[in-house]
Amino acid sequence: MTEAVSEIGERIVSLLPRLRRFARSLSRNQHDADDLVQAAVERAWRHLDQFKPGANLASWIFGIMKNAWLDNLRTRNRRGEVALPEDSGEHPAVAPVDAEASLWAVSAAMDKLPEDQRLAVALVLVEGMSYKEAAEVLEIPMGTLTSRLARGRLALVAELGDPT
Amino acid sequence: MNYDDETLMAYADGELDPAQRAVIEAAIAQDPELARRVAQQRALRTKMAGAFGKVLDQPVPERLENAARGGAKTESGRGNVLQFPARSARAPSPPWRAREWIAMAASLLLGVLLSWRLLTPDPGVFEAGTGGMLARGELARALDRQLASEQRGEEPVLIGLTFKAHEGNYCRSFLLRSAQTAGLACRVGAEWQVAATDSSVTSQGGMQQASSALPPSILRIIESRMQGTVLDAEAEKIAQQDAWDANR
Repeated sequence: MTEAVSEIGERIVSLLPRLRRFARSLSRNQHDADDLVQAAVERAWRHLDQFKPGANLASWIFGIMKNAWLDNLRTRNRRGEVALPEDSGEHPAVAPVDAEASLWAVSAAMDKLPEDQRLAVALVLVEGMSYKEAAEVLEIPMGTLTSRLARGRLALVAELGDPT
Repeated sequence: MNYDDETLMAYADGELDPAQRAVIEAAIAQDPELARRVAQQRALRTKMAGAFGKVLDQPVPERLENAARGGAKTESGRGNVLQFPARSARAPSPPWRAREWIAMAASLLLGVLLSWRLLTPDPGVFEAGTGGMLARGELARALDRQLASEQRGEEPVLIGLTFKAHEGNYCRSFLLRSAQTAGLACRVGAEWQVAATDSSVTSQGGMQQASSALPPSILRIIESRMQGTVLDAEAEKIAQQDAWDANR
């Protein structure tokens, strides 16, 4: 028991960089993203009995994070919290190097997408999942995933300009 | 021939089968506009992956590593695990002062608010005693009498693991089904002192070994306190006949 538990722990630790990236693509800043990672990982531990041995641990935890993120949004909406203006995010106060500027710009563009499109874009374009994998994580049919992804991409191009 | 965005997108993402791919490639070769649209899809992908990819190179905060190993709940103060102060079995400590009461009430409230679920173990089963939280009512009865090996699985309180703690006294894990709360209680004198509870237990229905339903938080506390191994059915029975007095 103890051994199996600590082994799962190490596997989750090795997933943390990817979980942080996924969370960052859903959140406004790294701090919120890390809170989301923590919530997802804690939830995974609480529901470890629901994880089927042999199943893909990464997909399972990504799915948990998706649910945790949606729950957060609902809770926030229910409380009537107003989203912070963009300037209070992590827009760098000093002249940013190119890399920081692009992360900020892309993050702000993602923030404007409807949540279902944001999830599809995050899993396929940022995480590099196949359509099939992403559809499984989101628990939606492939056709739904591709249409959300296509709409999300159109909106991002409109927001960010032609990337070519 | 015209192609919709979804088809071009699937092509750019490498999601088409070889036959479909060949058709699109032939079309692109003929039509610069199609080629431009595909290039745009690919460029967007590169841009998104590149921007967020930087997160992979950042150091991972320690709090996340702790959480990943299953250990962050008590440290973050966000979960609903309550670990009650461990008091010595030999030296009864003075009654809680107001400040401690307020602190405990506040942490209870925090747990409820943050976890958005009611942390409501039947009030009749816990009582604040001089040495901490004590088991009462059906919880105390189950801890006193119930043997894990003889449970039918329908009891309101399920007993999980019984073991000897480092201090030499017996401890037993329990599951309060109605409150979906798991916990650990240790024998102190003639009382069961509740060492920890966790109300994040998921309902699974059916007959479930109480031990396998224990949340990781409680398992960790058990691990840290346990001396030797878990009592088997026979040892559990003998301990019960000795009224949980480890010195007999």
